Amino acid sequence: MTRLHSLLPALAALLCIAASPPVAAGDRYYHMGYGMIQVIDGDTDTIVADIPIKGATRDTDVTSDRRFMYVATNRHLVHKVDLAQNRVVSTADVKADGWDRVMFGFVLAQDGATGYGAFMSRRADKGEVFIGKPVVAQFELDTGRILRSVEVPWGIAHLVSVRDAKGIYAFGQDLYKIDTTGADLKVVETVPMFDKGINMLPFWDYAFDNGGIASMNYYTATAMGVMLVDQRTGAIDDIVLKGDPAMAYSVVLAPDRRKAYAVMDDLTEIDLAKKTYLRSVPIAEGTCYGVNVSSDGRKVYVGGGGSTLTVYDAQTLKPIKVLQMASDGMDVRRLRF
Amino acid sequence: MKKKLIEALNEKAKAIERLADGEQPSAEPLAQRRMPQGCTTIFDTGWETNPRPTYPVGNCQASARDFHGCVGDCWWPAQMPDGLTNHREFDVQCPNVARDWRNLKYD
Repeated sequence: MTRLHSLLPALAALLCIAASPPVAAGDRYYHMGYGMIQVIDGDTDTIVADIPIKGATRDTDVTSDRRFMYVATNRHLVHKVDLAQNRVVSTADVKADGWDRVMFGFVLAQDGATGYGAFMSRRADKGEVFIGKPVVAQFELDTGRILRSVEVPWGIAHLVSVRDAKGIYAFGQDLYKIDTTGADLKVVETVPMFDKGINMLPFWDYAFDNGGIASMNYYTATAMGVMLVDQRTGAIDDIVLKGDPAMAYSVVLAPDRRKAYAVMDDLTEIDLAKKTYLRSVPIAEGTCYGVNVSSDGRKVYVGGGGSTLTVYDAQTLKPIKVLQMASDGMDVRRLRF
Repeated sequence: MKKKLIEALNEKAKAIERLADGEQPSAEPLAQRRMPQGCTTIFDTGWETNPRPTYPVGNCQASARDFHGCVGDCWWPAQMPDGLTNHREFDVQCPNVARDWRNLKYD
């Protein structure tokens, strides 16, 4: 009897796993909305699930086993989403200790229990206002408790994890490389961007969608560039495109990684090998923040900004379907199951 | 000696001055930094303004499609409710701007 008692938690866990049906094979797209994530089946291009979530979605990362997606909302909440059950299973708040924090940039650590965020903070005490130093910090995913931090310059907007999160790249005015392997987090290198005239809005990087390559576009006074970060090695590939810049919020790689798609008011196809623009079509529904591409490269999805998600034929760049989403959105993410 | 530009005249003003005696700066103006101005962290607002002479112009269009992006991260604070400090639940009130804009209630 006592032995059976000791086995009960394990049995319960097994039953829970058995109760969660595996995600059907294929592409799943996640429309990252406001108060809602909507799941789109990549075969039928229909909405197959709604995931209510508190707040406005921003940074997103996925566990290596692809069972859970962590979604930051309202710049201070971090939700754990069970991808088999399509529901939020827990939520942490990074301002639980009296500091009012906003988080621009979030990635998972390798341990599965913690993540890294770039924080600005403030606190009021007896009428006095205190402004915290900007930091990149490691925090517990289930409580939001800060474990360790390193001061960074103002203006960090995005984080990319490299080498199994042994390194964190913090994108701000410049790129700050942070070593996470010691007892303390340490900024070990600064790669200049601001003095090179690089102006970047790196809120979209499609690292897991691209299979481990973060892709972010930037602008100089004369050109658009695409910065690629290989998460496995940490290597950076900086591709400056020839010709008048296309205006884009985000850029995603085609599966062959020779082409890319960029989006804002237009959907623009890019030849990365030749460093040129191939084609561009206006998006009839209007501005989109996010872009993604099917794992076979045949369809391109644009959405975010407004409440539409448009599916394009990648060969013709003609729209195939327009989905009306429940809310406006920030991004369209893809996972292959 | 440098002349004070503002001088306390009544007791209340003098009391406020005494409160500030020995006070150290607790905030610093971002204007002295090299940062682009506005609430944006690194993004120099305005880059997307009208690169084309004809339709579609380079601004987000329709502007409603950019509303949440501007609110949530406070990129265009003059035109939008401040989603980081004063209107953090804005997304609840108006998750779909084109559909829900009539629900907007902010100063």
